[in-house]
Amino acid sequence: MRKLWVLSLKEVLLTVRDVGALVMMLVTPLAITLVMAAAFGTGGTDAPLESIPVLLLNQDAGTMGQSLVDIFYSDALGDLVTPELVTDEAAARARVDDDDVAALVVIPMDFSARVFPLGALAQQMAGVDVTKMTSDTVLTAEQQFQLGMAFLQSQGLAMVDPVVVEVYASPDWRISSAVVKSIVSQGLEIINTQIAGTTNIMTRLAAAQSQADAPSGDFAQMGGAFQMDWGSDGVQTAELPIKLHITSSTGRRFSWLSYYASSLAVTFLMFAVTSGGRTLLAERRLGTLPRLLITPTPALAILLGKMGGIILTGVLQLCVLWGATSLIGAYWGAPLSVLLAIPIIVLCTSSLGALISAWARSPGQAGAIGAAITLIGSAFGGGFVLRWSLPLWVQYASFITPAGWGIEILGRLQAGQALGRVLPWLGGALALTAVYYGIALVGFRRQFE
Amino acid sequence: METTALVEVQNLYKRYTPDGLYAVADVSFEIHAGELFSLLGPNGAGKTTAISVISTLLQPTSGMVRVDGYDVQRDPMAVRRVIGVAPQELALYDDLTAHENLRFWGEMRGLHGAELQAEIAEKLALMELVDRAKDRVSTFSGGMKRRLNLAVGLLGRPKLLMLDEPTVAIDPQSRRYILDWVKKLREQGVTILYTTHYMEEAQELSDRIGIIDHGKLIALGTLDELTRLVGEHETLRLQLLQEGGGADLAAALQSVEGVIQASATDGEVLANVTSAEATLAAAIGTATGLGLGVRTIEIREPNLETVFLHLTGRALRD
Repeated sequence: MRKLWVLSLKEVLLTVRDVGALVMMLVTPLAITLVMAAAFGTGGTDAPLESIPVLLLNQDAGTMGQSLVDIFYSDALGDLVTPELVTDEAAARARVDDDDVAALVVIPMDFSARVFPLGALAQQMAGVDVTKMTSDTVLTAEQQFQLGMAFLQSQGLAMVDPVVVEVYASPDWRISSAVVKSIVSQGLEIINTQIAGTTNIMTRLAAAQSQADAPSGDFAQMGGAFQMDWGSDGVQTAELPIKLHITSSTGRRFSWLSYYASSLAVTFLMFAVTSGGRTLLAERRLGTLPRLLITPTPALAILLGKMGGIILTGVLQLCVLWGATSLIGAYWGAPLSVLLAIPIIVLCTSSLGALISAWARSPGQAGAIGAAITLIGSAFGGGFVLRWSLPLWVQYASFITPAGWGIEILGRLQAGQALGRVLPWLGGALALTAVYYGIALVGFRRQFE
Repeated sequence: METTALVEVQNLYKRYTPDGLYAVADVSFEIHAGELFSLLGPNGAGKTTAISVISTLLQPTSGMVRVDGYDVQRDPMAVRRVIGVAPQELALYDDLTAHENLRFWGEMRGLHGAELQAEIAEKLALMELVDRAKDRVSTFSGGMKRRLNLAVGLLGRPKLLMLDEPTVAIDPQSRRYILDWVKKLREQGVTILYTTHYMEEAQELSDRIGIIDHGKLIALGTLDELTRLVGEHETLRLQLLQEGGGADLAAALQSVEGVIQASATDGEVLANVTSAEATLAAAIGTATGLGLGVRTIEIREPNLETVFLHLTGRALRD
């Protein structure tokens, strides 16, 4: 164990003393991150906007909730969204968490009663569905009186404790969830107009009929109240007692700075680690590896020490980049989660370095192969463009290299996903690590023998 | 006098590919405790291959090698604990200091703590590198690197020290320093396996010498024993005025009476003769007959050069 540590520290020391390596590992990714962030700002982007999957949980017993649902099923939005009515809230939230759908819209149980208390009161007190009233509707004097009472009562309820419609959005469907939010907002505006219109019709109708039926003193008072609150010139809208609550399974907003900080860090980690793996071949050529092999140290320990040093260097590299980019405003995710993810990403990347150095014939060949794989892997994994804007098959193909796993994992943490939800991807990275190290060991055995 | 064999090599064969030529073929020798044993031979003779097998870096194709009683194939880790190697390449980390290199290699040999610190201080002093201990090896001269390379080989006080061509590509002063240092080690009783293609070094340092050529051990013994192989012969060395013509003269001398063997190299001709005095006139006459001028003539007592010429028909530097 002590020898492993000594071997690892030697690797770190040699890297730290190599100015060229430091420039490549730290300065270059930082500089490119700054350039990218300056070029793109902190906006967001997403996949093509069509058939956005959205879940609708309508818990409202009244008609207003259904009105909001109907908007999603309207012909105008037919190509844009693919709504699905659900009843199990927990299951629906889980589907958003799993990025199965862009968002979940939760319409609360008392939505209609709260958003349009007059409607509920009118139904309750006068037995009239005011949303279905027209100018031809005939009301009895009693109904007129009760409607007036209902109106007066509703005035005291409307603005108290606004009702919340929640849009629970997935961070990985950034634009899509913004579209859903916009649809809900517009839907609420339509409902607002609908409420205002209904109230206005009811007011005019009640007022007209009150004059015809020689109202009592109370009713005349009510007619005055109608005039005062609603005026007499057509539809008037008031601010709806609705609060649109946008929540996300992440709670994080996309940032180009954060994205490039982590994706470029992974890209340059690959450069550094494949270059580090190459030093094994260089040591063979320089004679230090043969000299190591004739010390009383098992060959496996030498290999592990060498890789340990490369991993330690990689962890330091990512931590420095994490710290440095955080200082300029990048967010990598919850610190503990990032701390766990970094060694796994580095371990995964080191397996590629080991694979290359185990099978390459010379340091030059290993360097060329390592650079090519790094560039291709990063391009596929989202090192240069937003990973989630790439076609799905490209995203899946990128999982053959550590870049795909690294950028996916850090992207999810960065979007605020909890560690538990990232574990499957960490497991995937470890599986790739096992496969690559397995193949590398065969090559190393051939080399050492 | 029968002494303990620290190294036993029996019928060693080594080739790198199944169908390739043998780099070492049927080599057998022993090295006794406290002895300085040299393997002498030209470049490519198989010296480094032999040392690589003994140091467990390479597996023998066949044959048996034991060091301190441990078989190199069956118990390589035990062998590695008792050997120290200074390879022909300068196997050092250029970006580490001399002290850091010694510390690293010492740790790899299983040293640590006060023992390691004491060894590092001792080796730095021994190699006169104390003043440069904190300098990176990349700033060292070739001779200093070679000395540090040797110091690393000595870490852990190995029972057997293997020095593979330790004086290659260094200045005469450093070479002298290293040869004197090897002599001191020998006086201290350190068992040394020394490989070289410099006849003078083997002659100056060795208790016993194995002459190796084309992978085969062609002679083995003390300097006296080896020179006796060529009997009472002497070596006639003719340095020519012209660059070319040496090969023609060597061929012509083969037919001169009293000349046993002749070989040309680098503008000079070496002739193994029964009596230099009796052959000298004929040799000069032959050169003149070929239109060649003789710059200097030297008559040498039998030495390893003579032995090699006698055994192979070639000069050691061919």
